[in-house]
Amino acid sequence: MKTVRPITIAITAMGGQGGGVLADWIVSLGEQNGYMAQSTSVPGVAQRTGATIYYVELFPRDEARKAKRDPILALTPVPGDVDIVIASEMMEAGRALMRGFVSKRTTLIASTHRVYAISEKEPLGDGRKTTEEIYVLAEQSAGRFIAFDMDAAANDTSSFISSVLFGALAGSEALPFDRAAFEYTIKHGQKAVEANLAGFALGYAHSTNTAPAKPATPTPVLAPPAPAVMPLLARLEADFAPASHDMLRHGLRRVVDFQDVAYGALYLERMARIHELDLAYNGARKNWRLTCAMARYLALAMAYEDTVRVADLKTRADRFARFAQEVSAQEGQIVTITEFMHPRVEELCDILPTPIGRFILRSPRAKRALGLFFGKGRRIETTSLHGFFLLRLISAFKPLRRYSLRFDVETKRIESWMQNVVDTAPDHYALACEIAGLQRLIKGYGDTHSHGLRNVAKITEALGSFAKMKSAHTTLKALKEASLQDEDGLALSAALKKLQNGRTT
Amino acid sequence: MAERSFAKEVQKLKLGEGETFHGEGILAVTKALLQAGVSYVGGYQGAPISHLMDVLSDAEPILNDLGVHFETSASEAAAAAMLAASVNYPLRGAVTWKSTVGTNVASDALASVASSGVMGGALIIVGEDYGEGSSIMQERSHPFAMKSQIWLLDPRPNLPSITKMVEKGFELSEASNTPVMLELRIRACHVSGSFTAKDNLSPAFTLAEAMENPVRDYGRVVLPPSNFVHEVEKIEKRWPAAVSYIKKHRLNEFLGGTTGDVGIIVQGGLYNTLMRALQLAGLADSFGQTDIPIYCLNVTYPLIEDEVRGFCADKRAVLMVEEGQPEYIEQALNTILRQADLQTRVVGKEILPRAGEYTGQVLLAGLQNFFKTYAKGKHKAALPDTPLDPKAQKQLAQNVPQRPVGFCTGCPERPVFTAMKLIQRELGNFHVSCDIGCHLFSILPPFNIGNTTMGYGLGWSGASAFNTPAGKRTISIMGDGGFWHNGLTSGVGGAVFNQNDNVLVIIDNGYSAATGGQDLLSSRAQNANRITGQPIERAVRGLGVKWVRPVNTYDLGKMVRTLREALTTDVKGPKIILAQSECMLNKQRREKPIERKAIKDGRRTVKTRFGVDADTCTGDHACIRLSGCPSLTIADNPDPLREDPVTRVNNDCVGCGVCGEIAHAAILCPSFYRASIIHNPTGWDRARARFRQAIIGFFQRRADKKRKQLSFGGAP
Repeated sequence: MKTVRPITIAITAMGGQGGGVLADWIVSLGEQNGYMAQSTSVPGVAQRTGATIYYVELFPRDEARKAKRDPILALTPVPGDVDIVIASEMMEAGRALMRGFVSKRTTLIASTHRVYAISEKEPLGDGRKTTEEIYVLAEQSAGRFIAFDMDAAANDTSSFISSVLFGALAGSEALPFDRAAFEYTIKHGQKAVEANLAGFALGYAHSTNTAPAKPATPTPVLAPPAPAVMPLLARLEADFAPASHDMLRHGLRRVVDFQDVAYGALYLERMARIHELDLAYNGARKNWRLTCAMARYLALAMAYEDTVRVADLKTRADRFARFAQEVSAQEGQIVTITEFMHPRVEELCDILPTPIGRFILRSPRAKRALGLFFGKGRRIETTSLHGFFLLRLISAFKPLRRYSLRFDVETKRIESWMQNVVDTAPDHYALACEIAGLQRLIKGYGDTHSHGLRNVAKITEALGSFAKMKSAHTTLKALKEASLQDEDGLALSAALKKLQNGRTT
Repeated sequence: MAERSFAKEVQKLKLGEGETFHGEGILAVTKALLQAGVSYVGGYQGAPISHLMDVLSDAEPILNDLGVHFETSASEAAAAAMLAASVNYPLRGAVTWKSTVGTNVASDALASVASSGVMGGALIIVGEDYGEGSSIMQERSHPFAMKSQIWLLDPRPNLPSITKMVEKGFELSEASNTPVMLELRIRACHVSGSFTAKDNLSPAFTLAEAMENPVRDYGRVVLPPSNFVHEVEKIEKRWPAAVSYIKKHRLNEFLGGTTGDVGIIVQGGLYNTLMRALQLAGLADSFGQTDIPIYCLNVTYPLIEDEVRGFCADKRAVLMVEEGQPEYIEQALNTILRQADLQTRVVGKEILPRAGEYTGQVLLAGLQNFFKTYAKGKHKAALPDTPLDPKAQKQLAQNVPQRPVGFCTGCPERPVFTAMKLIQRELGNFHVSCDIGCHLFSILPPFNIGNTTMGYGLGWSGASAFNTPAGKRTISIMGDGGFWHNGLTSGVGGAVFNQNDNVLVIIDNGYSAATGGQDLLSSRAQNANRITGQPIERAVRGLGVKWVRPVNTYDLGKMVRTLREALTTDVKGPKIILAQSECMLNKQRREKPIERKAIKDGRRTVKTRFGVDADTCTGDHACIRLSGCPSLTIADNPDPLREDPVTRVNNDCVGCGVCGEIAHAAILCPSFYRASIIHNPTGWDRARARFRQAIIGFFQRRADKKRKQLSFGGAP
């Protein structure tokens, strides 16, 4: 049966993203321009940050007049029968694709920005899902695909993503209404009209590829390295394979910033040892994987986070400027920064000379006494003189660091870890690279940090039992992934147990 | 004040004869009630009919002008009992709630009013929370109507049909002395559209007249022998009266074609979906014109037997489109046809899914199947192209993450569960009995706390079996909404009386938050038409609870200490922790505009928000696992050496401070900072800032100079 179809529009959004506002705009847009409109939504808890669908249908009033009947409009989208899909975030576009709303008849308008789901944010490592295949499928499935970062556009115009989406819809010309009609709808709404019009305009521009190109940030003039570090850089370029230079430079920069030039030299010495090994076991053909990996992880291990380091970082000038920008403070406003810190007796002992630190940690009485001062969390306003100089005082311990307890502990740890890499490389290059990567598990401070150390210890211990196997590197990789899965170490213990049983049976 | 204000929309309720009403289904229902001359309205909020309650409370001035009484009932049971006013007097009354959960609560009173029978029209508007977006067990309201003999209306989901059914519902109720249930599905409640309005009617007979001239009729009281009389009356008087009214006023519709040996019988509420499916199959046009005979049941209980027989008589098979299970209507059809010895085949759940929402896609597939089997070649339904191949589907399914609902940014309930997570690390896991409300999100990541939820206000009752000596206590959760709904008596009263030794945490955020932020007895906010400000602490002490500890939820340290004490103290008897802080959604709605104005007017205003220092964040995300705040997210690690994303606080942050509290309580990392942004600073502010900056800046420049000596310059 031949018949006039309604225009069907599905808005897939998260609660609180203004999907309702957008739906209302489309309805009044239609009603003001000769169409009958119907919108529906799902209320309730779905709107508490969950994913939800707003659905709109538009039907030409003349056709209804001609037929002398009202059209029967649907309350939910039917796969393959949606003309316009508006997704307020890239994964929501993916969800729309998954539900079959996007077909050849569909104009898909999606914001490319990501709002990460809790399952992506939770893991100890990187749990983020990729959006590449969503792009590909969108290109394949949709009749038209309009995508750009509408969240950024909303921020640039200090408006809301709903207005940018509305602008993109206008620009797509998927609806039989001109720009003026859209803008009238916003004005008619009488809410935050200026901001909304600005957001609309930018959305329109982007979807018609007429958006003004962003002013390119001028590339800073490369300042020459300071004389003091020249020799280090020279040595780096002379002694190491070019493929590893970038990572080595990053590492070198980090350790020198952490301590001093001599420490940088130590870094290069240690790396030289690894590089020779790499050379010996034709790392050249493996584009120096071991050297590059070690360059990264050794730097992180040597530039460990201690109170001195934190205090130093938190009193730097560039940081204050960065924060003011991060919290988008405007000209003429004053920003004060308060840090949330919780130094414990352990952290204090870390930066004290080894014998003293050891003594305190061993003597319960001393520990208890100090506990009185280091028991609770502290809020330190680094923009106040008191707070600033307190931290400066702590960072002044830097020269003494070499004699500190933590330095002693870290040095021992680094050496045994490196030894492990060195001993493994000859028989099992890939495994050596994985061992180097164990450093990735050591993160954070306090409990989190010791938890990481425990995991590494567990894995290193288990290592002996399977190091000889051909697939040892994949096994180790799996164990590392397991230990990044949950903070209670359940996945890791399970994996280790499985490993044992696998051998015994 | 509710989450959404209808102050502007309610003006539409004043529209008169012939004017066109544009708006939401719920608002249209309210208008229809006023046009029907209703005397009293009550109910309990809950999606999808929360807005009906919100509209009514925003419309109270208009209601008062008409002499209509609106009651915010304490529970669905209370609302149903309200219908008692229509038993002895010609008073029209309407009540509303979320179904089936609300209908469960209301059943006692519903059964009673259905037994007594009504003189004035009694209308029960239930929001059927079934299918996508539903937050409750998937059941039907249908059997409640059957068991108590209440007529069930299921109108086509467009405003003219819905409003007509409200009007007819009252008449049907009066014609048959039976309460009538009007069922609205989720999306129908929120469907926008228009209908031609009529004038509002003031009730012909007022509540005051009834109170001043009481009428007592022993025959209407549910007590022997009347209760036995009622049962007979239901069958011999009320049912036939209802049937003849429904037939006379053609409440059910015969649509589509008149010939052909197959037809479709459909619940009114599913009509639009069915027609869309037929249209996509090329069997109908956009106006619902089709050759296929359709019998549309705007009344799904009772069935009109001779209408059914008439429709089926000349057909080989009829498709029964009935959503949900058990398939009561399909069963009734078969009985009717069998008794009439008609051989028409009734096809329903054998080709349509037994469970789940009947979307256009589902019905399209069902129709194809039906026509293939029972009308070979006659109708060839063509599916619209299904864009994605199964492989791509699967690939997407793996990549598109679930988006479970969660606590809002800055929600005061979150720190309560952070505290519980921390205390469980210390004392081991506990059995946690949950309730209904936003706090139920605790069962989802990142908290994963909670064992069961037995119903609104039943959090503590859900753990009442565990009232026995043991090495660990149980923790129960209850919101202030659930507390006033029935938890006060069922939970707290029961615990005191039965010498319970366990722990209850009452989330006292000042609103019935999950249902849309409606006020409660214990709300701190002032309400022009209600009495608020009745503290929960006084209520529970009044019941005899000795161990009660009010705690500000944002004080994480104190919350942890209090939980530890409650779980380990030697003190016997019920222990109640009052977790107090205002719902952030409502707080922001109230305070944001004030703040904005203050800044605009040039007054000194301090805004606080939090941030994470990427220099010291090592990308472990422990803070996220303990908070789950939407504004706490992740970003690429700016450090070329580190691989895992750092934590970032986005611009939605409302500065509640929980993340900082967590960093302290859980001894996480020194990365969190609080930025206080002073808008329109005073001269003193500026002077102080300048003074500080002068000194700090000096030392910073000196440090920078020293670092410059070790600079690698522009080397990448």
